[in-house]
Amino acid sequence: MLLVGLPLAVAARPTIEELKARSVLDDYESNVLHGYDIVMDTPRHAPRYSGNRLSCTNCHLAGGTTPDGLPLNVAGLYPRWRAKNGVRNGIGLRIRECFLYSHNGVMPPADAPEVLAVAAYINYLSEGEVIGKPPKHWGVPTLTGTNQDPNPAMGEMVYRRACVSCHAADGSGVGSAPPLWGPASYSAGAGMNNVQKAAGFIWANMPLGAGRSLTQQEALDVAAYLHLQGRPVDPRDGRLRKLAERFVHWLGGLTGRR
Amino acid sequence: MSVLREVLPDFSWWSGADKRREAASGIAGAVLVIPQAITFAYVVGLGPEYGLYCAAFVALVSSLFGNSAMVGGPNTALSILLSIAIMPHAGRGSPLYTEYVLLLSLMVGVVQLALWALRGATLFRYLSPAAIGGIKIGVGVLLITSALEGTLGVSGLTMQFFHEKFYVVLASWSEIVNPYAAAISAATILSALRLKRWLPRAYIIVAVAIGAVVGWVIDGVVGPVQSQVELLGRVVFDPLPLRLLTVTTEHLAVLEELIPNAVAIAVLGLAQSLVISRDLKTRMSPSVDLHKEVFAQGLSNVVGPFFSSFAGSGSFNRTSVAIEMGARTPLSGIVAALAVVAIAWGLGPFLTHLPMPAIAAVLLLVGAGMIQWKEIRLYARSRVDATVCGVTVFTVCFVGLEAGIVVAIVTSVVFFVASASRVSLDITRDGDTEHIAVRGNLFYASIDGLVGHLRAHPATRTTLDLRAVPYCDSAAIAAIDMIRRERNQQGGRLDLVRGDVTGIAAAA
Ligand code: HEC
Ligand code: HEC
Repeated sequence: MLLVGLPLAVAARPTIEELKARSVLDDYESNVLHGYDIVMDTPRHAPRYSGNRLSCTNCHLAGGTTPDGLPLNVAGLYPRWRAKNGVRNGIGLRIRECFLYSHNGVMPPADAPEVLAVAAYINYLSEGEVIGKPPKHWGVPTLTGTNQDPNPAMGEMVYRRACVSCHAADGSGVGSAPPLWGPASYSAGAGMNNVQKAAGFIWANMPLGAGRSLTQQEALDVAAYLHLQGRPVDPRDGRLRKLAERFVHWLGGLTGRR
Repeated sequence: MSVLREVLPDFSWWSGADKRREAASGIAGAVLVIPQAITFAYVVGLGPEYGLYCAAFVALVSSLFGNSAMVGGPNTALSILLSIAIMPHAGRGSPLYTEYVLLLSLMVGVVQLALWALRGATLFRYLSPAAIGGIKIGVGVLLITSALEGTLGVSGLTMQFFHEKFYVVLASWSEIVNPYAAAISAATILSALRLKRWLPRAYIIVAVAIGAVVGWVIDGVVGPVQSQVELLGRVVFDPLPLRLLTVTTEHLAVLEELIPNAVAIAVLGLAQSLVISRDLKTRMSPSVDLHKEVFAQGLSNVVGPFFSSFAGSGSFNRTSVAIEMGARTPLSGIVAALAVVAIAWGLGPFLTHLPMPAIAAVLLLVGAGMIQWKEIRLYARSRVDATVCGVTVFTVCFVGLEAGIVVAIVTSVVFFVASASRVSLDITRDGDTEHIAVRGNLFYASIDGLVGHLRAHPATRTTLDLRAVPYCDSAAIAAIDMIRRERNQQGGRLDLVRGDVTGIAAAA
């Protein structure tokens, strides 16, 4: 990559409020604002492709501007290779995948206006970052201070103590707190369903406003507890095939009992 | 008072309408329009709900204010033109894009109302059926080409010419064609072709349903990530999509640039609507008033954008189905529009996982349906028609739809003038006396042949028989006068056998 080391556009970046106050916007700026709206309230501004109650900002905290809270100033990292599908991924594909997995929705086409708008917003957030180099506090922290395997039973206790007031006993969320499991939450294929990533996210950011108040082990345990809860199936598995497998399993159970 | 009769809805048809038959035809029409509306919205570059709004509100206004059984709403050619016009100005489908599409549609409506005030319906008499046939065929080719990507699951074929697309797909199909998408569209097209005979009204719906089931099975077995089949997504249908259109200074600059597009779209929309209503008038309802239909079309496009609808016009295929089912009055169109609202509202949630290849297949079928061999054979029989139609098709395919429309109008007018200026001279000669029977219009563009002949034999005694000349302009009169004077000096003679051509009578 020849471009490595070059900073992205350098001009001073207007804030979202400044952009909103402008009467004349060019194509890029109008897309940035549309993208911002989608990130802040996905069910309302991208209803066509979103399938649950989550907005991007529920995970990419504060509209993707929180360090260690899955920040979205990552345009300079793409395209990059990823193990999930074994090809080089553009930023567009990452956005489309979050609709499919995290929003349990429909994968938008590559040229869907929603995807282009969010890409413009991510590009806007990335102004000033260095191409090819991960930004500081990228993604979520990797937890190194855990000394035991994740224990969901301990996690349930942590959940009862520290999370239930906002996310509710059945995980459906109270008020502005989003659902953590159940039909209105992210699917089993989402990045947040990965115990390590969720643990890092929770440790750094949850309970909201009191990040890093749990021990890393507690965060890992509660992530494991969340992982065990029911949620929409991973869209990578064909639902019919899953059903057939379950049916065969059930048949096997019947004959086995005889 | 005739103006009032044109602008006010007129329910005089109510008492004579067979209400059960009209209602049945209206409901069938609603079922027919839904897949088309979604498809055309996709062509325009907007979410599926916008096509449904157009099928409901534009259609409702044009039926309420019109006086015929013509079915209005989203239209193929207009949809293509709308997207071509707005694409350079905003990201496809973004809020700004939507706003521009609606503002352009409003402009189209205003232009159409202006054409109504200028008695535009008379103008469209000169657009020949062959030219309209050419536009239809060209649009069919464009539709099939644009459906190619959707049906085969190929994305981003950006070629300049349509035949290159076919070439690329044929040459490298094994790498770029998505077999799952192709299977879904093949299932849809094949079932449509098989079912057309049995279910002439509902076959498209049933075919889309079959395609959808194939899509769901694929989705269920291999999963959406593996299959990569594009889905429609959630249709957010609002039964009363009121919308305030605001125009900022930035809009104004763009809107000014869009004026030629608005005129082209307005003309094409009216041309199609008028061809349909002229056809209805001659075939079944002599009471149809073409000016009233023009007003209704214009008004529907002025009102539509305030209900989130893009510009529409009369639809050939939906009108003919309505007529076949016994519609004779606007009632069926009104019922259809209201039924679209009811059905789309109830059905919306079930459409989310509808595979796009099934919808693209409908587009392909609509496109193929626009290329009618029967019509082509008809045009092929006349040299003029074949030329007008051929030139139009060629321009639409290789240059673009707007250019095609201009060419269609220009060639129709040129050939009209050419055929009007054809003059035949029937000459009988006997020594130095001759008798010329003239047939055709004599005017500045057609007089040269006759003048040339008379000048070539200045000493002859000629009798000019003008009884078969319906029209003669001042240039022709002056020329004949001049030659008569020349002959008198040179020993020849020119006698006229006058018909009822008053100008010549006065000169002689
Ligand atoms: C349920 C939580 C969740 C939601 C909601 C969510 N994401 Fe994500 N997103 C993640 C996680 C976790 C990762 C990183 C994990 C991974 O790499 O798989 C991620 C990664 C990304 C990345 C790559 C970032 C990087 O660091 O490389 C992009 C871009 C992205 N998401 C966009 C979006 C957009 C756009 C939306 C809204 C439409 C969205 N996400 C909604 C959880 C979420
Ligand atoms: C003060 C209320 C509050 C508490 C307590 C709280 N959360 Fe949250 N949580 C939120 C809010 C609000 C968001 C959405 C963030 C946003 O939109 O800015 C969120 C988001 C999340 C998310 C990502 C979004 C999603 O739906 O998956 C996870 C995971 C999460 N919380 C886990 C936890 C866990 C585990 C605990 C207990 C350790 C916890 N939260 C405690 C308010 C809270």
